[in-house]
Amino acid sequence: MSAVTEFPLVSLREVRRDYALGAERVHALQGVTLDVERGDYVAIVGPSGCGKSTLLNLIGVIDQPTSGTVAIEGRRVEAMSDREATQFRLRNIGFVFQRFYLMPILSALENVALPMAEAKVPKVERLHRATELLKYVGLGNRERHRPSELSGGEQQRVAIARALANGPTLLLADEPTGELDARTGTEIISLFQRLNNDGTTLVVVTHDEDLASAARRKIHMRDGRVVDA
Amino acid sequence: MRAALAQASLIRHRARTILAVLGVAVAAAMLLDMVMLATGMRESFRELLLSRGFEIRLAPKGTLPFDTDATIPGVSAIIATLRKNPDIREISPVLGASIHVLTGNRDVSGSALGINPSVQGDYELLSGRDVTTSDALVASDHLLRQLVARVGDTLNVATGYDPQTRTYSGQRKLVVTGRVRFIYGATDQSSAAMRRETLEGMNPQSRDRASLFMVRVRSGADAEQVRDWIDKQLPDVTAISIATAIAQVDERLSYFRQLALILGAVSLFVGFLLVTTLVTVSVNERVGEIAVMRAIGVSRSHVVEQIVLEGVAISLAGAVLGLALGLVTARYLNTILSAFPGLPMAIDFFLFQPRAAWSALGLLIVSSIGAGIYPAWRAASLPIAESLRREAIA
Amino acid sequence: MLLAFLLASLLAQDSSSVGRSPNAAIRRQPRTIAIDDAFAERAHLKVGDRVSISVAPGMAGDIVVVGAIVKRGADPSEVARGDLRVRMHLDQLQAVAGYGDRVDRFAISTTPAADIPRLIDRINGVAFGFQAYRSRDIAVETSRTFQVVSRFHRAIGIITIVASSVFLLCIMVLKVEERRRDIAALRLMGISRATVMRAIVIEAALVAVLGSALGVAIGWAISLVVNWHYQALYQTPLAFSIVTAPTIAFAVSLSLLLGITAGVMASLRLVRTPPLALFGR
Repeated sequence: MSAVTEFPLVSLREVRRDYALGAERVHALQGVTLDVERGDYVAIVGPSGCGKSTLLNLIGVIDQPTSGTVAIEGRRVEAMSDREATQFRLRNIGFVFQRFYLMPILSALENVALPMAEAKVPKVERLHRATELLKYVGLGNRERHRPSELSGGEQQRVAIARALANGPTLLLADEPTGELDARTGTEIISLFQRLNNDGTTLVVVTHDEDLASAARRKIHMRDGRVVDA
Repeated sequence: MRAALAQASLIRHRARTILAVLGVAVAAAMLLDMVMLATGMRESFRELLLSRGFEIRLAPKGTLPFDTDATIPGVSAIIATLRKNPDIREISPVLGASIHVLTGNRDVSGSALGINPSVQGDYELLSGRDVTTSDALVASDHLLRQLVARVGDTLNVATGYDPQTRTYSGQRKLVVTGRVRFIYGATDQSSAAMRRETLEGMNPQSRDRASLFMVRVRSGADAEQVRDWIDKQLPDVTAISIATAIAQVDERLSYFRQLALILGAVSLFVGFLLVTTLVTVSVNERVGEIAVMRAIGVSRSHVVEQIVLEGVAISLAGAVLGLALGLVTARYLNTILSAFPGLPMAIDFFLFQPRAAWSALGLLIVSSIGAGIYPAWRAASLPIAESLRREAIA
Repeated sequence: MLLAFLLASLLAQDSSSVGRSPNAAIRRQPRTIAIDDAFAERAHLKVGDRVSISVAPGMAGDIVVVGAIVKRGADPSEVARGDLRVRMHLDQLQAVAGYGDRVDRFAISTTPAADIPRLIDRINGVAFGFQAYRSRDIAVETSRTFQVVSRFHRAIGIITIVASSVFLLCIMVLKVEERRRDIAALRLMGISRATVMRAIVIEAALVAVLGSALGVAIGWAISLVVNWHYQALYQTPLAFSIVTAPTIAFAVSLSLLLGITAGVMASLRLVRTPPLALFGR
């Protein structure tokens, strides 16, 4: 046994998340316990409304649990102030959304540079790194294009590059292929594979069977619970 | 990056941005005009009163200069009393009267001032000579036009008209020696000036009487103290300092100051409302965008900063445009108010004073910052996950 | 003019101090004068007070009794001048002022059937040292001040209308644009441009009607406040602001027109944009 026990990168214990929907109370998560290790590639699958996205939001520190604990890199999420959570997200977590959510008024390069600007990376350095990241995702020749001038797949790759801007330890993706055709989806799946091979921990929420299959681990959810991890 | 984002956001919605800038420009123009109106009359009047350097005026008891036909008796005695004060440098007694210039088939009426040309402060010579001789007369351009006369012409001038007997108490031939601009005269005023002895001689009832005394104090002397001294020494006259005169005119024109204050406040409020509405609509459209920015790690304050910058940019552009627009409308409004009968042509109702103007426009820009902060903060504080969920549904 | 002389010289004495007045001033039993309410307030005079009246300060004058305090007339030319007015018996004023058997003017009222122009001509024909005018003509001549003020108000009104139009258009564009997705969805469903525009214009008209009603109520209330304030400030019963039916009709018509026009212009922009572009695609 080693002197120092490595704790999981992501650790959830009996996490519950309730929220109000009109007059009703929705129990999106009902006591979820799971771990994600460093270097893992996890796909969270399940029917619509089972709580997948809610779980991802909690891991991504953009939401707070109603009860239970969420720890990322050993730090308890529910103990963070808004400022601490924001800084944590900026430096440790990359988020990829189903709808890409690129800034329509910025070019691809500027979109990727945006998180680095927030992290006060000097301009020259961040533009250089943004260029490198765009090359990494295969869009080296599309730097100056606005999102409206890019295809869905290209936009999603820019979004992935943006998520990698500050070198996060954890990359989260919520239905990343949801708005893409099959061929483009395959390209994104390959890209995720490469990222994981290069050491990035990935947690992906998806309906896409191909994407789920590409992951090393599948977590099945139903009605706010993990039924099979 | 934030400035670039703000700029890009404004350019993205060009029509909306242009309209908002126009709206703020109109508000800024009105605000500027009202500030000019509120301070213009007073400053313009002060400059007018000080233009010749006479700080104190003496008028018949209870009146303002030339408010009535009343005159002050005992000019010599009054001058002797005033000379006892070492702080008084110069005294200019002025006698006012109505005159008629008889031209044969008609007579032209006007007003005349009897002055001492070496200390007078009522007109400035435009051409010709001052009234150095007893038969000399200087006239305003308006009077000369009415008489179809010019410098060098001899006029038959009468005064002291009795409507019952249709006679004059005095009549004399006077030579027009110069053209003058009466500092306190209205644009359409037919006015002339002659030596005080000349006017007195034409109207025996006004001998040793004056309508007004203008007093110049020694440099460094306290005009208010001198005024108080005169008040005690000469209880039968009213001594008016610049401050008193301005206060009295202020009272008469208080309506315009109050109107300026009210309209100025309304302009400021409307400008504020416009920016608030613009920012609110702008952030409501971008709830998802803002949530994503928060999700990728942009702090709340930086999001607010970017949004507020948009409001500030619109206000700045609007203020610059409003400055130009305000100056144009001020000139137009000033032209209207300058038609007040009897108003000295040197008085401006709208006077541009840089300090007041920059303060007003600065206030507009500061209020635009305030206008943007609340909606921006609200949008940046929305729960990220819920905003993203709503965007997904929408 | 004559009255102005009196402004400088009214001294207040109470009824017990008759003996202090100059002997030469008492020629007859004290006659009465009437003063205006502003004068009474400023000089702390009441009915029954005795005062000495002269045309110059320090001069011997007549002792008179304040017989009446009259309310100021709603004369615009007196506003902001701060004049104080006294009414005396004509012969007494003539004596006090040394004016002799003279007056400044006569005011003549005529029978309803009188031919005024002919009367004026007759008077001027026999006039010796005076001229007859119709009161209305003099009013026009002396009302230049109010013509200037009216022009100024009109100019401010026009500027305000132009400014309001710009604000209204701006806000309408913003508000309609806020609903671009709703409009896009309707268009995609097959709802025609005309129907969408009609809906927006009807909404703009309703808002304009409500806004006009509210504006009239606010304007009427402000008018009351303006009159209350300035009547107190200038101590005059003059009405500074009057809300009339034509004024209301004009304001409501204009605001309806502006509101509907702004709605039309704002919606035209959006219905002309392809629906997918409204969705941002």
